[in-house]
Amino acid sequence: MRGLQLPLSQTQRIRLQRALEKLQSLSCKANSDASVTVADTIPVNYEDAFLKGHGTTDLNGDLVATVCGVVERINKLVYVRALRARYKPEVGDIVVGRVVEVSQKRWRLEINFSLDAILMLSSMNMPDGIQRRRTALDELNMRCIFEENDVVCAEVRNFQHDGSLQLQARSQKYGKLEKGQLLIVDPYLVKKSKQHFHHLEQFGIDLILGHNGFIWVGEHVEARDSMVVDQANSSEQSRVPEEKNQTHTPLEMRQNICRIANAVRVLSTLGFSIDADLILETVELSSTVKIDIHDMLGSEFHVLVAEREAERRSLMGKRKR
Amino acid sequence: MVGLSVGEKHFIQGGIAQDLRSDGRKRLTYRPIYVETGVIPQAHGSARVRLGATDVIASVKAELGKPSALQPDKGNIAIYVDCSPTAAPMFEGRGGEELSTELSVALQRCLLGGKSGAGAGIDPTSLVVVEGKVCWDLYIDGLVISSDGNLLDALAAAIKAALSNTGIPKVNVAADATSDEQPEVNISDEEFLQFDTSGIPVIVTLTKVGRHYIVDATSEEESQMSSAVSISVNRKGHICGLTKRGGVGLDPSIILDMISVAKHVSEQLINKLDSEIAAAEASEEES
Repeated sequence: MRGLQLPLSQTQRIRLQRALEKLQSLSCKANSDASVTVADTIPVNYEDAFLKGHGTTDLNGDLVATVCGVVERINKLVYVRALRARYKPEVGDIVVGRVVEVSQKRWRLEINFSLDAILMLSSMNMPDGIQRRRTALDELNMRCIFEENDVVCAEVRNFQHDGSLQLQARSQKYGKLEKGQLLIVDPYLVKKSKQHFHHLEQFGIDLILGHNGFIWVGEHVEARDSMVVDQANSSEQSRVPEEKNQTHTPLEMRQNICRIANAVRVLSTLGFSIDADLILETVELSSTVKIDIHDMLGSEFHVLVAEREAERRSLMGKRKR
Repeated sequence: MVGLSVGEKHFIQGGIAQDLRSDGRKRLTYRPIYVETGVIPQAHGSARVRLGATDVIASVKAELGKPSALQPDKGNIAIYVDCSPTAAPMFEGRGGEELSTELSVALQRCLLGGKSGAGAGIDPTSLVVVEGKVCWDLYIDGLVISSDGNLLDALAAAIKAALSNTGIPKVNVAADATSDEQPEVNISDEEFLQFDTSGIPVIVTLTKVGRHYIVDATSEEESQMSSAVSISVNRKGHICGLTKRGGVGLDPSIILDMISVAKHVSEQLINKLDSEIAAAEASEEES
C-alpha cells in the first residue's frame, strides 16, 4: 500500500492497518505466487517449453521478473502484467477521452495511452441522424460537434498498422459529455464488466467508467436528442452560452455528483477496484454515517471504507464456502 | 495543465456560485493539510507540506556571515523558490522561472517586511552574534514538487513549519576580541536555539471566480479566475503583506471585503497549521 497521505491519528492508523491486513489475507488464499516484484524468480516448470513474454528476462538460467506485477500464463506464454502501467486498450473497450486536436476529417483524443487516439468523422453519428456521405461542409463544421478540450465518450474500434488507436462513436449513447466532472484514476482499477454506462436513477446521474481510468460523473442527458437541437442552433451559437449561464445544475443534483465523485476518489486512494455497485455502497455508507461531502476525503471515512470492504469480502468468502 | 471543456468550466463556475465545489468543499474551506518536519537532515530545519495534490518542501540553512554596514544589528534572510519540472510540464527548462520569481518576491514581501527590516515576521535582530561583525545568514529555500493550485499558501505554511523545526547552533564568541579584528567564534554542535515562530504570518489566497471568492483553489479552479489576492495575516490579525494577481481590475470595496474574509479564515488556518506542525514534530521525535 503506497503511503496514504492522510493525517491519520494513532487509532485510525491501527484500524486501517488491521483492515488492510485482513484484505490481504483474504486475497492471498487465491494464488499467492502470482504477484511478483522486480528480480523475483517466476515459478515455472523448466522442462516444458514455454515462451518468455513481456516483463520477464533470463538471468543465470532463471526466469526473473523485470517489472512489479502479476504473473499471467496463457497456454505456453508466461508474462508479467504490470499494474500501474499506462492503459492497454483492447477492441470494444469503452473509453472517455479529451479532444486534443481537430484535424482533417478526424479528431485526436488523449486517452491516457502512449499515443493519442483518432476518432474519424466518418465514425461519428451525424447530428441529423441520417447515414450519408460526409461532405466538405461537414468537414468545415467539425468544430460544431467537438472542439478542443471537449470530453468525449467512445468505443475502441481497432488498431492501426502503426500502433495507434481508432475509435468510433456510432451509437446514441456515445458523444460529448457536459455538465459534470471528469475524474482520473489508475487504469487497472476499472475492471471489465458488462456495462460501463450507468444511469443512476435515484440520483438522475450518469456514471461512465472508462477503461482508461477516466471516469465521468455528470447530469443525466437523454440519448443525444440535444444533438439535433444543437445543429439547428449552430447559427445562433451566441445565444447558447447565455442560456447556459442561467441554467446551472440544481444544488441537490450537484451534491449527488460531488458525493459520487468523492466516493470514486476514496476508492482510488485506497486502491480498490472501481465498479458501480461499490460506488453506490460507498455513497450509501456516507449517507448513513451522515458525513459531510467534503469530509468524505478525510481520514475517518477512508478507514471506514477500508473496514467495510474487508467485512464484505470476508462475508463473500464465507458464502462461497 | 490540462485544458477544460466548456461544459466542465461551466460546472466549476456553477459550483462556486452555489457554494459546493467539485470536491464538496465550501467556498472558504481548505483542503486537508499534511505536514512533515525534518525531511532534509542536512538542513538546519525543513518541512514538507501537502495541500491536496500540491506538494512543497521548504528548507532553512544558516551560515555565519557579516551584517550589512547599514544595519549592523540585524542578520540577513533570503527567500528563494524553485519550481521543479516534475510539478508541471510547463516548468521544464526555464519555463518555471517566471513563476518562481513571482512566488519568491511575494513571500519576501510577506515575511521579511520593509527595507529597514521593520515589521518582519521573522525578527532579524535575533540572528546577530556580534554586532557589526558576525551574524547569521538565513537561506530559506522552497521547492515545488507538485502543483495543484494555491502554491503561495502551501509555501508559506512550509516555511513556517520549517522555521519552527529550525535549530540554530549556539555560538560562543572568544572574549578577548579587539574592535577591528574578526572575533573567533566557536560553533557548538550540541546546543541549538529554537526560533520563535509565533509571529510568522500565514498567507491566505482568495481567488475571485465570477462574483464569489474561494479559498485554496485547485489548478482547475485557478484557470477560471479573474483575479486573485494573497493576504498575509499574522496571529494578532494584522496584515503583513498583500499581493494581487490577475489582469482584471477590482473595485476597492471588494478588496476590503476580501481582506476581512481573509482575516476570518486565517484564524482557523493558523490554529490548524500550528496543531499540524506540533503533531509532525511529535511524530518526528518518536521515529
